[in-house]
Amino acid sequence: MEQLIIFGILISLGYFFGRHAEKKHYKSIQEREKHWLQLPTTSSKYVLEDDRIIDHCDLVNGSMVVSVDYFKRILARLRNFFGGNIQSYETLIDRARREAVLRLKESCPEANQVINLRLETSSITKGSGKQIGSVEVLAYGTAVYFCK
Amino acid sequence: MGYEPSLPENNDNVSHDQPVREFVLLFFGITFFLLIIFWVLGLLVDRAVDYITPEMEAVIFPSVGGSASESVNNSNPRQAELQRMVNVLRECIQIGYPLEVHLIDLDDANAFAFPGGRIFIFNGLLDKVLSENGLSFVLAHELAHFKNRDHLRGMGRGIVLTAVSTLLTGAGSDLTQLFAPTANFSQAQYSQERESMADEQALQVLGCHYGHAGGATEFFEAMKPDGNRSSNVFGHYFSSHPEAVERINNLHRLAGEMDLTAEKVLPLPAVLVSQE
Repeated sequence: MEQLIIFGILISLGYFFGRHAEKKHYKSIQEREKHWLQLPTTSSKYVLEDDRIIDHCDLVNGSMVVSVDYFKRILARLRNFFGGNIQSYETLIDRARREAVLRLKESCPEANQVINLRLETSSITKGSGKQIGSVEVLAYGTAVYFCK
Repeated sequence: MGYEPSLPENNDNVSHDQPVREFVLLFFGITFFLLIIFWVLGLLVDRAVDYITPEMEAVIFPSVGGSASESVNNSNPRQAELQRMVNVLRECIQIGYPLEVHLIDLDDANAFAFPGGRIFIFNGLLDKVLSENGLSFVLAHELAHFKNRDHLRGMGRGIVLTAVSTLLTGAGSDLTQLFAPTANFSQAQYSQERESMADEQALQVLGCHYGHAGGATEFFEAMKPDGNRSSNVFGHYFSSHPEAVERINNLHRLAGEMDLTAEKVLPLPAVLVSQE
């Protein structure tokens, strides 16, 4: 019975803190995405307007490591029984992807364009079931600076 | 093709369902599923137990002899007296194989029916009962477990439950904890049912041997919690035995149905009276 109470506390803590953190993060992501809309970013190999002369290019990257909260972890494990869409992990990965791209953009505020944007994901805790699951999303691309 | 920066209106990469709703649905769904599995496997264990003959049981669970450090010497007169009582009582309840009584030098008031035809009686029990009839009821209760083969059913269910929980949730994981009450609940309900059944048969044995039901509730009266202690509201759903008060009331009711009156009880045999 005591174990169950501890369990309940952990789950509620996970739920409330996790939800709070998520809301806060999404709010920040949306504001920053709006701000960085001015920096065109594509996955294309070529710059968008080829009539301007390129001054120089840089490799830029941004990454975020994100971890699940207790509630989401348990929810995902419950989902494992019957299979299906693990919804509790969706927001997690979505936040990591968008944050990684934002960090990439923030690393080159003077750039005119970012081309060749790529995203990669790797699990930090692969193969060790006892640890808290966390995932890294890495965004990398080429920052292009045109001549003034 | 010009580039027009814009943000998507909706985020289609995440579901917008209520996670709590999903949690509740999954949790109760799995609990229900587990209860059914436990129930079906329990029935299978019952069937398997019917196939285990006493001879097979003796081979599977060979006698431990005096290996347990707390078990008292075989020549102990108290153990011999308990063995004698069991031998007399078993004439009233047909059990086709030998039973061995082991007196264990522990202060808990408890007795066990153990596979391999062994009854373990803890020393503490002898301090709780006041009369021969009271002790006979406890012994008859354990005999009834042998008669009903509850010791094998209990053990079989225990193994199956642990195996299933571990298989489905992973050993020692968070989920095992989450579903432990489900497993305990299904085990406890079954166990309480078997205990009540054994109580009823023990009462019959008393009636057969002494001709009355005197002393039947003696042990439970001694084990009854003090009136002022508040009892756990949910605890008894998960406990392996019915509550003492409930058992006493049940025994009174059954004695009435069997037309057994409570008459004068016999004193405890001198050798079993505690030395202090």
